[in-house]
Amino acid sequence: MANKHYIRNWFKDFWGIATHELKQIFSDSGVLLIFLVAGLAYPLLYNVIYLNGILNDTPVAVVDDAGCELSRRYIREVDATRECSVDYHCANMEEAKDLMQKRKVKGIIYFPKDYQDRIIRNETATISVYCDMSSFLYYKNALMAVNHVMLEEMNKIQADQFRAGGFTERQVEELTQFITYEENNPYNRAFSYNYFLIGVILMLIIQQTMFYGMALLAGTMRERNKSFASLPDRFQGHGLGRIVLGRGAAYEVLYMGISIYIMTIVPAIFGLPQRGDFGDLMMLAFIFVTDCVFFSMTWSTMITRRESVFLLFLFMSPICLFLTGTSWPETAFPTFWKWFSYLFPTTFGCKAYVNINSAGGNLSAAGELIQAMTWQTIAYVFLSSVSVYIENHILKYKQK
Amino acid sequence: MKSFKILKNVICRELEIIGRRPLYLMGSIGVMAFCAIFFLTFFHQGLPSDLPIGIVDKDETWVSREFARNLDATQLGKVIKYDTFAEAREDMMKGKLTSICVIPEHTYDDILANRQPEFTYYLNGLYFVGGALAYKDILTLVNLANGAVKREVLRARGFNDDAIMGRIQPINIDTHQIGNAYTNYGYYLTNIMLPGILEMIVIIVLIYSMGTELKYGTSRQLMDTTGNSITLALGGKLIVYTVLFIFLGILMELLLYQFMHFPIAGSVWNMVINVIMLVLASEGIAIFILGCLPVTRLALSIGALYSVMGFTLAGFTLPLETMPPYIQGWSAAFPLRHYYLFYTQEVIFGSGFAGWWQEIVYMLCFLLLPIPVLGRLKKAYINQNFPKE
Repeated sequence: MANKHYIRNWFKDFWGIATHELKQIFSDSGVLLIFLVAGLAYPLLYNVIYLNGILNDTPVAVVDDAGCELSRRYIREVDATRECSVDYHCANMEEAKDLMQKRKVKGIIYFPKDYQDRIIRNETATISVYCDMSSFLYYKNALMAVNHVMLEEMNKIQADQFRAGGFTERQVEELTQFITYEENNPYNRAFSYNYFLIGVILMLIIQQTMFYGMALLAGTMRERNKSFASLPDRFQGHGLGRIVLGRGAAYEVLYMGISIYIMTIVPAIFGLPQRGDFGDLMMLAFIFVTDCVFFSMTWSTMITRRESVFLLFLFMSPICLFLTGTSWPETAFPTFWKWFSYLFPTTFGCKAYVNINSAGGNLSAAGELIQAMTWQTIAYVFLSSVSVYIENHILKYKQK
Repeated sequence: MKSFKILKNVICRELEIIGRRPLYLMGSIGVMAFCAIFFLTFFHQGLPSDLPIGIVDKDETWVSREFARNLDATQLGKVIKYDTFAEAREDMMKGKLTSICVIPEHTYDDILANRQPEFTYYLNGLYFVGGALAYKDILTLVNLANGAVKREVLRARGFNDDAIMGRIQPINIDTHQIGNAYTNYGYYLTNIMLPGILEMIVIIVLIYSMGTELKYGTSRQLMDTTGNSITLALGGKLIVYTVLFIFLGILMELLLYQFMHFPIAGSVWNMVINVIMLVLASEGIAIFILGCLPVTRLALSIGALYSVMGFTLAGFTLPLETMPPYIQGWSAAFPLRHYYLFYTQEVIFGSGFAGWWQEIVYMLCFLLLPIPVLGRLKKAYINQNFPKE
């Protein structure tokens, strides 16, 4: 009989704590601002900012000292690429440098006087490219355009040389290109910035807003000396599981709603790739949100006053972005930071989301990541229980 | 003289508050130190190396093995061999591979028989830097392989080596990366990320410091000491924090350009001017936010949303011109954007005052922001008529 009572009481307390927490959330405008305004509006804002995501027609200047047929053809072809547009033809390098310094152009292409002569003499001619490194995308565009045109030009020039050397048309074709190649970029055709970044940012928003909101609330409670850690007293020291799981359930419910919006509706609004299966995504959302809930619960223990979370942890948002390993590759992480990255659910969650939603994998494509998140959740459930336990003891000690 | 005395009192009071609560120093010096360590160690490789590239070798001859070995030998790539494309694709989907290169069957035979075999490669564009670099690596190697075969064939046809070089490579491209000769990602990102963190610290710490006076009801006592002068009250506070933030800023610039030897075309002391302006402009923003909304937690939340946005709208990762026009204009409202434009002129091109004086003017405009809200803030400080929580 006692056992039956225990289970009934457990659920009663659990329910009580969960609903109490939800009431707290909805009666706190600061938390609501973060959960609803930041959680709902930020994903839209970021999508609008990154709407195009592709840098086209980077302006470049050309200094053509050769002034020959071949260099003019080269310039026309660079102008025709998606990446670059030749906006200025300069008489000398000084003029071009001046344009670059005034940020009118992001690159300079220079053809030396002997460009055509060297090619006719079957020697190697050199083109100089100067890139503005203030943003790597300028550099990437200038380099891609110039290199692609170079490959094409080389083929044309070689073909002419071999023809002149008396080879037949068939032989010329064989001699210019022994190995051909085909390139595919299946997940992100144009190397668009938003395809790779938005997925990561969306998951980061889930984790960060949840953490800030929960820490705000935990800080408020502690400021009013109503910390949830004082609850076990009511249950004669037995309520740990009820408190941790009950509070967690409140956030879980709220954030499942927000996550479904962020992970499925937002990409649909902006026409981003949605190659994943809805069921898989929901599974991932559940695991990720659970992980985030206990992660936030553990770390919000350190927040003793309402607003201090911003002072202490706001800077983690950009750092978490780098720790996901989607921009700076994971293979290049220093060992310490690699271990450090295991503290955050986003380290695994972002990749899992990208793999399922953008690359179109199923759950097995995120299998190891989900496993990692599960271990992380277990660790954080344990840690958050321990922290409640310790806090409870400290509170009791203070009372005495 | 009386004002000076009051100011001194306010400064002493503020120093006492900072001394009492470690939060202020942790939130400024502590955060800055952590981020400096993070960004300077995290990107210490500069350019990633050993990016995993999958190779599906269906040819299995010395030619294809040589290609894989060469790719593996490049600094960028590390080759992982797969038996079937399906396995490789699976791993790419998991994000473990930056790219896959498929070498078709009979490649060697085809080369010998001049049948032009076709290499296929697949890039993982979802892992941006890795994918782009692996692409560059494979493209280089395929062209090198092409050149090698071509050289052998031309030799066999009796050309001497001098004549061959111009035939294999008629055009060569000589690239000059201005401002970052080694394409170092650490230089590129840290140069703007750290000032961005500083902007964030200035806004958040200042809003918190001014806001707690309201929250704990100490603002009236502060106004009593200054004889109800908001200028003196804020002035005293600001002197303390400005010294702290500018100290942090100068330390950051010296750390980057003196101790870590980040490339800089201009002068580090001009960058000190830049960071001082960044600090002052951010302070203007902080006062403006709190003045508009004298409720600490709301002001802090808005300050947080604003300063996180600053990183994106500075336009140093994704350039501003890709963003929709109605967003581009907003970037002017972020001090970090002006810091970035100043930095481009000074650090990348070294163009000096002529290049960046406009950015100074823009950042000075931020100093006007507190003026319209001072009266409101004064009323809030005296009457404390806004919700405290």
